Amino acid sequence: MPKHIVRLISLIVVLVVVAAIAKSYLTVDSFYRFGHYRADSVPEIAAQIPVYQTARYCLDCHTPRVAQWSASSHKSVTCEVCHGAAKGHPQNGKLPIPKDAVKLCTLCHEAMPGRPATQPQIQVAQHNPYTSSGQQCTACHNPHSPKIVAAPTKVAGNASAGRQRAAACASCHGAEGISPNDTWPSLAGQNAAYLARILSAYKSGDQKDVAMTPLAQALSNADIQNLAAYYAGLSCKAAPSGTTVGDAAAGRVLSRNCAGCHGETGVGNNPAWPNIAGQKPGYLVNVLKAFRAGLRKDPMMAGVARGLSDKDIANLAAFYVGQSCQSTK
Amino acid sequence: MTNESKPKLAARREFLAKLARTATCAGAVVGAAAALGVMQNVAAKSESKSTGGSFPTKDYDWTKHQWAFGVDATKCIGCLRCVEACKTENNVPRNAHQFRTWVERYVYLEGEDKPRIDSQQDPVNIEASGSEKEYRFANRYKDAKVEKAFFVPKLCNHCNHPTCNQVCPVGACYKTEDGVVLIDHDYCIGCRYCVQACPYGARFFNEEHGVTEKCTWCYHRITKGLQPACVEACPVGARVFGDRRDKQSPISLFIRNNRVQVLKPETGNGPNVFYVGIDKEVV
Repeated sequence: MPKHIVRLISLIVVLVVVAAIAKSYLTVDSFYRFGHYRADSVPEIAAQIPVYQTARYCLDCHTPRVAQWSASSHKSVTCEVCHGAAKGHPQNGKLPIPKDAVKLCTLCHEAMPGRPATQPQIQVAQHNPYTSSGQQCTACHNPHSPKIVAAPTKVAGNASAGRQRAAACASCHGAEGISPNDTWPSLAGQNAAYLARILSAYKSGDQKDVAMTPLAQALSNADIQNLAAYYAGLSCKAAPSGTTVGDAAAGRVLSRNCAGCHGETGVGNNPAWPNIAGQKPGYLVNVLKAFRAGLRKDPMMAGVARGLSDKDIANLAAFYVGQSCQSTK
Repeated sequence: MTNESKPKLAARREFLAKLARTATCAGAVVGAAAALGVMQNVAAKSESKSTGGSFPTKDYDWTKHQWAFGVDATKCIGCLRCVEACKTENNVPRNAHQFRTWVERYVYLEGEDKPRIDSQQDPVNIEASGSEKEYRFANRYKDAKVEKAFFVPKLCNHCNHPTCNQVCPVGACYKTEDGVVLIDHDYCIGCRYCVQACPYGARFFNEEHGVTEKCTWCYHRITKGLQPACVEACPVGARVFGDRRDKQSPISLFIRNNRVQVLKPETGNGPNVFYVGIDKEVV
């Protein structure tokens, strides 16, 4: 073989060997383990830490809230959809409670072409005309249990039978259902369905009160119906209550958040919810504070009362005590 | 050529020959050492392949799963919580043009042949959301005569024959054994061939990191037994995810109980995102 050919061949062989050695050194070990890629990148990608933690993560600390939410129509909307990803919570601080509920809720519930008919949708301007003055959806809807369920409104009691049973109530609630005391509620003219519901709640233990619980436990279901019918039939007209510390004008502004259920002046359209016009201010203050503290349980009122300061509560009480309890219907 | 130059030439040749011999010897020694090293390397490689057990993590064996995704467009309400969740989960740049998943709206107005199509990145929708970092569909067809309208969530189809993989010049893009198309961001050189190659527009270039990005079906979540973030966030169950090996998984039931279709079947890519309730205009 001519010399120059031998040289050429050996040069090629040397280059091939050098290239092979270089490739072996420069290619990472895991390349070609499964294919034309670096196998180590798979565990690297798999090792990233999830940011969304799922509702199970929330359950341990927020048990009551999770229980309420998971029983509601919002159960398919997980915690982190509204509150943001939970990674780093609680170590790095609280998760946000959305302030602009109108903006958040309308993401899903604004009536829009293209949304399936099964999705509950609203025309914001008609559904909540107070949006412009800042009234949030959460004023009426508890985001963790958004459906507003009115209790059964039928009460079939005997008022005269109720009158006899009511003797035991008179010492606190007044002989004619007008409370002589600022702390206890007047019952005269109250919605029968509401009275029956609350008495049943005391009886079953869903609602607790040192004085009311034993009294209500002594009542039969028929007694409750009779009492409700009796008090609902009384006239709510009463002498104006004593002085209040709150500012009624400020209370009127706040009361827009209550108007959806309790009516504009505290006389509502739905008998499942109480009339609060002309109610004892001390009682209203106590009740709102109890809702705020979670001592009295109601999904709706818990949400409403949560944002109220002591001053707000006093203002609201001052507003409602000044309203006429006579139905404007 | 002069007489004096001849011996000089011979001397030079002799010197070069010596040099070549020395170089060859040295090369041989180095080469032998290197070859030895290579053999060790190869041995180490084949060893790690034979041992190990489950891959890629010790709790997750990718040979036991085959993932797939379902989209029920008849359920989608266009709330874009999936887009929000994806951006957060995967640290996707918070702007109005880079998305790993997105939602399109198809609106057929009365008297028009073709649908009007927009997505969350449309300027009108960005204006409605108030920020490029938040996403919502503007109610722009509120007063129009809409004949038909629907929303379609989109994402990477994790194809059986991904064209994006074929064009990658550096082996940065691959399909895993469990059916997910992933990008090795350490190897990606940012050439963007794959962005061009994807028939679904599922990829984008991240200028900040100099790499291509796309949906991974939240590989870091599914390998831990979680759902992808968009599926987790969807409030109406329009997104379905699961293992096709498991006949009772949500995706197996979804494919079995519905007449499903894929996008652009004619490309031969073999997409693994299955759609229900979309029109032929959706591609």
